[in-house]
Amino acid sequence: MRHKLVVSVLLVWLLSFVSSAQTPPQGGVSTGPAATYTSRRTVGITDPNAPVVFEDVTDKTPLANFRHRSGEAAKDFIFETTSGGAAIFDYDGDGRPDIYLVNGSTNAALRGKEKAPRAALYRNLGNWKFEDVTDKAGVANERFGFSVAVGDYNNDGRPDMFVGNFGVSRLYRNNGDGTFTDVAEKLGVARKGWSTGASWGDYDGDGRLDLFVPGYVQIDLNHLPPSPSDVNKAGVGQNFCQFRGVPVMCGPRGLPGEGDTLYHQKADGTFEDVSVKAGVNDPEKYYGFSSAFVHVDDDKLLDLIVVNDSTPKQLYMNKGDGTFEDIGYPSGVALNENGREQAGMGLAVGDYDNDGRIDFHITNFSDDSNVLYHNDGDRNFTDITFQVGLGEVSIPFLGWGTSFIDYDNDGWLDLFVVNGHVYPAADAHQWGTSYAQQALLFRNVKGKFERVGAPPGNALANAWSGRGLAVGDLDGDGRLDLVINNLDAKPVVLRNIAATSGHWLGLKLIGDVAKKSPRDAIGSVAYLTTGNLRQRQDVVSGAVYCSQNDMTLHFGLGAATKVDKLEIKWPDGSVETFDVPAIDRVVTITQGKGH
Amino acid sequence: MKRSLTLFSIMVALFFAAGSAAAQDGATILTGADLTRVVPNSFYFQGLSAPTQMRNTAAARFGKDRYVISGLVDTSGYSADVRAKYVGFLITDSAIKLNGESLPAGAYGFGFANEGKLTVMDLGGKDLLSVPVTNDKALRRPRPLMMSSDPNGVRLYNGKDFVVIAAQ
Repeated sequence: MRHKLVVSVLLVWLLSFVSSAQTPPQGGVSTGPAATYTSRRTVGITDPNAPVVFEDVTDKTPLANFRHRSGEAAKDFIFETTSGGAAIFDYDGDGRPDIYLVNGSTNAALRGKEKAPRAALYRNLGNWKFEDVTDKAGVANERFGFSVAVGDYNNDGRPDMFVGNFGVSRLYRNNGDGTFTDVAEKLGVARKGWSTGASWGDYDGDGRLDLFVPGYVQIDLNHLPPSPSDVNKAGVGQNFCQFRGVPVMCGPRGLPGEGDTLYHQKADGTFEDVSVKAGVNDPEKYYGFSSAFVHVDDDKLLDLIVVNDSTPKQLYMNKGDGTFEDIGYPSGVALNENGREQAGMGLAVGDYDNDGRIDFHITNFSDDSNVLYHNDGDRNFTDITFQVGLGEVSIPFLGWGTSFIDYDNDGWLDLFVVNGHVYPAADAHQWGTSYAQQALLFRNVKGKFERVGAPPGNALANAWSGRGLAVGDLDGDGRLDLVINNLDAKPVVLRNIAATSGHWLGLKLIGDVAKKSPRDAIGSVAYLTTGNLRQRQDVVSGAVYCSQNDMTLHFGLGAATKVDKLEIKWPDGSVETFDVPAIDRVVTITQGKGH
Repeated sequence: MKRSLTLFSIMVALFFAAGSAAAQDGATILTGADLTRVVPNSFYFQGLSAPTQMRNTAAARFGKDRYVISGLVDTSGYSADVRAKYVGFLITDSAIKLNGESLPAGAYGFGFANEGKLTVMDLGGKDLLSVPVTNDKALRRPRPLMMSSDPNGVRLYNGKDFVVIAAQ
């Protein structure tokens, strides 16, 4: 026995000297086996019989002047490939949702050698007119921006913004006069590093919003990882950072990951880092991209899901004592149905099958499907991606922002996904995919999904380098519109013009701070019943991909002309039932007071 | 330096494994500290030392002091050709059987280059043996790599596919 052991060790030792040594590997993502296609499946796919759902109205708005910028076109480094988020929220309280677009930056700007790209805030004037109010509002950021999460952290009735940066993040306090002030340093949330898709939520039930921020990869600008152009340089080696045998930018695998941060808001309005104490600091330093505080098991405590790139996802159950338990593995959410880690990017949160429980849709890398986790109850989830029609079609796409959206107001949550590759080389090789990619719209037919085709010449026939996505009814017509933030390009504003006769109801919820519910009602759940259909909508901060949907809840009612029952479960756990005297409008409901 | 650390880790793992003092006839799946004590942080294979995905490691003890250690590694630094066939390592301090096929003591790479088969390679990437995997459709929560008990030894799982490792 001992003899064999010694022989084995000596063999290993000997081999180490006769083999050519190379530097440690870097680069790579967790994806499926290389799929073989005879044509690109992510661009130019149209259907002349498809219905017209969205109209691209970008050029009719000043958003057409916005240019997202993120590094150089070659995309030699990972931080050039994943910005940036978008938000739809009513910052000025006029009832019309406004738009915020995060911008990236450049290596030169980070080194102070050129002017930094600017984020932008567009005030909705109604009738598809917008005004660029960035300067007045003071929210240009001018740092390497990635994400935005909206939450009224100080319960003053005015939504504030956390902007996650590569560098120092910002917390823009809404002053209520059309301006914002960055209070991140003052309040203790000026997170350094690479901050991605954050989420606000009151995890400890004190009535004050707390903030969770995932960290992605540790990057030292003075010691950048090798780039594709370094491959043939001396000392680098031939096998560095490849995708299908082609040199590409390195990461995330092989690069050091970054932990996550939970900021607890104290009574004085400042924040403290409680990540370790709460058990959500991510000691294994997975590559965090998206997160959301959400009710997984429907007790009164907000749970937390974190979507990680190329590492397992975390599902933190709130234990009610200020700590969380990660049940990612036992719940089934950490991996796909075959037990494989996936390159998680975006996160959609919603009850797609109207069974009263929250489900998750998560976007992944190309050569891999996106994934839909059905919530079975009892903290169990099942990957049912392929059973419901979301698997095969998504494999060639590299997905980012994803959101459940009942675009046709039939009472079933449909799904919209924006896509775009991180490797420009995708256009030079027959991988079945492309750098710019079409978005995907799926119609929910009672729990099964069917892809809605793109009519030739329609917005959905276009290919974009999509990243962030935000959903909201921008024109107040009862149909949900979309804003997409595209890498290195202008954004896209999609007006929903679907021919639908479905009725609808919008709900704007206001929590009672005196009862320890945050004023913006994050963490509330609304259950709406029409006939035999009971829908659920949650007030969620963050998710999507580094983005923020309008927190006005939107219910499609189909042919129903009245609401039979509306229950609101408030953040403090109390439940109220309300009459809904009229539909096809947005109704504001205040906890304890009704309409 | 990194390679030396890797080899040191393997040696430590093997010596520790060999010196363990449990007295059991059956196979014991190692967990927690018992597992992390024997798993190397990185593994040398075909010209590179790649970091071990510590979350995706497994080990079993046969009898009182015979160990089999396996783990997935970060293969992203390898060429596409190598990545297509190599996913992790298998270290055994005594001869074992993989689905009935003999494998002597040593450190090996393994992968799934052939559909439905696990292939064991020497450290230079040469194929040594290939055995069919069994798909466990009933497995409820598969992991990238894990071990579980089997009447004939232990099952080494990759997702829902497994082979049976038995002592010789």
